[in-house]
Amino acid sequence: MKIINKIAATLMVVTLFSGSAFSQAKITVKGSDTMVILAQKWAELYMKNNKTSIVQVTGGGSGVGITALINGTTDICNSSRPMKQTEIEKLKARYNTLGVEIACAKDGVTIFLNEANKVNELTLKQLSDIYTGKIRNWKELGGNDAEIRLYGRENSSGTYVFFHDVVVKADYSSNVQSLPGTAAVVNAVKKDINGIGYGGAAYAIGVKHAYVKKDANSNAYVPTAESIAKNDYPITRYLYMYLRNRPTGETKKYIDWILGSEGQSIVTEVGYFPIK
Amino acid sequence: MKKTFTMLFLSVIGLCGFSQTAVIDSLKEVISNHEGKLNALDDRVLVNEADLAKLNKIKISGYVQAQWEYYGKDLVKTNEPTNTFYIRRARIKFTYEPADGVKFVLQPDFSTGNLSLKDAYAVVNLPFLKDWTLWAGQFNRPDYEVEYSSSQREVLERSRLIRAIYPGEREIGAKLEYIGSKIPIKFQLMAMNGNFTGTNAKDVDSKKDIMARLVYSIKMPSAGLGIDLGGTGYFGGNRAKTNQYVLESNGVADSVAVGDYLKKQWFGAEIQVFADVLGGLALKGEYITGTNSTPSTIASTATMAAKKADPNKVNNFSGYYVYLIKNIGQKNQFVAKYDFYDPNTKLSGDAAGSSVNYKTLTLAWQCYVNDNIRISLNYEMPQNEKSASVKNIAGVASTQLSDNTLGIRIQAKF
Repeated sequence: MKIINKIAATLMVVTLFSGSAFSQAKITVKGSDTMVILAQKWAELYMKNNKTSIVQVTGGGSGVGITALINGTTDICNSSRPMKQTEIEKLKARYNTLGVEIACAKDGVTIFLNEANKVNELTLKQLSDIYTGKIRNWKELGGNDAEIRLYGRENSSGTYVFFHDVVVKADYSSNVQSLPGTAAVVNAVKKDINGIGYGGAAYAIGVKHAYVKKDANSNAYVPTAESIAKNDYPITRYLYMYLRNRPTGETKKYIDWILGSEGQSIVTEVGYFPIK
Repeated sequence: MKKTFTMLFLSVIGLCGFSQTAVIDSLKEVISNHEGKLNALDDRVLVNEADLAKLNKIKISGYVQAQWEYYGKDLVKTNEPTNTFYIRRARIKFTYEPADGVKFVLQPDFSTGNLSLKDAYAVVNLPFLKDWTLWAGQFNRPDYEVEYSSSQREVLERSRLIRAIYPGEREIGAKLEYIGSKIPIKFQLMAMNGNFTGTNAKDVDSKKDIMARLVYSIKMPSAGLGIDLGGTGYFGGNRAKTNQYVLESNGVADSVAVGDYLKKQWFGAEIQVFADVLGGLALKGEYITGTNSTPSTIASTATMAAKKADPNKVNNFSGYYVYLIKNIGQKNQFVAKYDFYDPNTKLSGDAAGSSVNYKTLTLAWQCYVNDNIRISLNYEMPQNEKSASVKNIAGVASTQLSDNTLGIRIQAKF
């Protein structure tokens, strides 16, 4: 037992004087599908200008990215929703930190309608009623006498969680067709005259943006640089990067670049909105 | 000739027209057949999706902890083994979430020779109060170290203090919990039977024990610092059912009326500090002090002398624990833990009898091999309060027990 005591004491001393500076040549980024096109563009341009750096980007959804961050299989997690308290508790338990949250872009969750749809404007309440299944026919909203077909995201998606928490605020209708990625949602609505979908602003090509208003008496907005900057668009959100610890070395350099003018100009180029 | 040619030409045209109509009809039939098949497939996909959605509501997780322990000589009787392999925990947790804000949890433990039900409860989000949940069933008491899962804990066992006042960690009862989404507060209020040890399914007295916990979280992101501060209170009692004699904390004999409640009340303060310093560092501690009681189990028909010899006990106690946890890179963790528990603060030394206090230093190293596997090396060094009663234990030659324990655990989690 005395030998064991000595071993234990030595172990403790070694530990207390050791650091954790394990530098990483490669930066792995995982998470939000909404942010994939943005993150890939960032990585592409950053690697072009920094030949020694490798930035590897994959999607999967915000939930998948956060799990990967907790499990230690990614350096940066992209998330289109804030981390939940339960997820922070897991980070605390495993890494003894609260994680680091970095807002890197803004987005307006866009309501996609088919271009032939007569409906142009929706309130948050109507959106909630549509996605909970209380409103089932477009004629209830001034449109054609046709059943509303709902398209949405999978539950690992940050957009799914954000839209649920901010707009739907109850159980999604069982009629929502879950699709893997905003591009798939846009594609479905493009082909379906009676379809409705939601997702990141950068994907809205070939579909109509619905004007959204907080309530019947408010002004209606579509996500534009101005309506997002002024927080007028009612479904405005931040897009985040999460890390386990405060960034150092190459990761810090990459994040500083993203938050700088060059990185933020890509945000606009892709179709999202800069944080400042 | 002209007539014949015209007739022939018209016949060919007619045949072509007939043949085209036949092809179109046949194509229509094929399309209709395929349409039917596609509709049938659509229906099947919808049924499968509905089934899959039901399955998605069920989550299964669990962990197995297999370990080897080496005991100090005073923990082992003569000719008994000084070391052993054993399964400390083997649990499967079933969680069913039929709707948003409704959850059912069932968690049995299958460790060898210890098949038991650990958790069985329902959690419901209160309508219109999204930050409030109501729990009912068998679940952990609201205390930091109790609620901190065994699969996450950085040392092999909980503190001596917590094991003494919250045996088995769980209780049967109902809990109201508030986790603020806007304000960083956690509040828990639990009503419970108050005597759960893992076997008794129902309460043994009419009064319910009440426990409350309040935690406030402070976040300082720029400094990479998070501090959780909290307090707990436990208000309950044990009924003296068969014996009127009571041995107080100071060793003085007293008496109560049979049917009276013996005091079981304590207060605690807790702090957890998380700092983003070279890979993460945590300092966690809790202090609890109060009065605990142990009702006599002697038969009501026993003689007065027998009852006096086995009285109800009411003791003032106190204890605390402090963890220092340092992450070393992503995969390793060093842990030093110090805990103290004095089951009777009014008496010390020889007068304390068997209620001696313990100070325990534990050093541990965790290696997270991957998402599922963790290897723990744990060395626990308890130091008991010197007392003649310790020396009276068979085979113990000193008032200071040699009861250190070395443990190596492999945990597989899914």
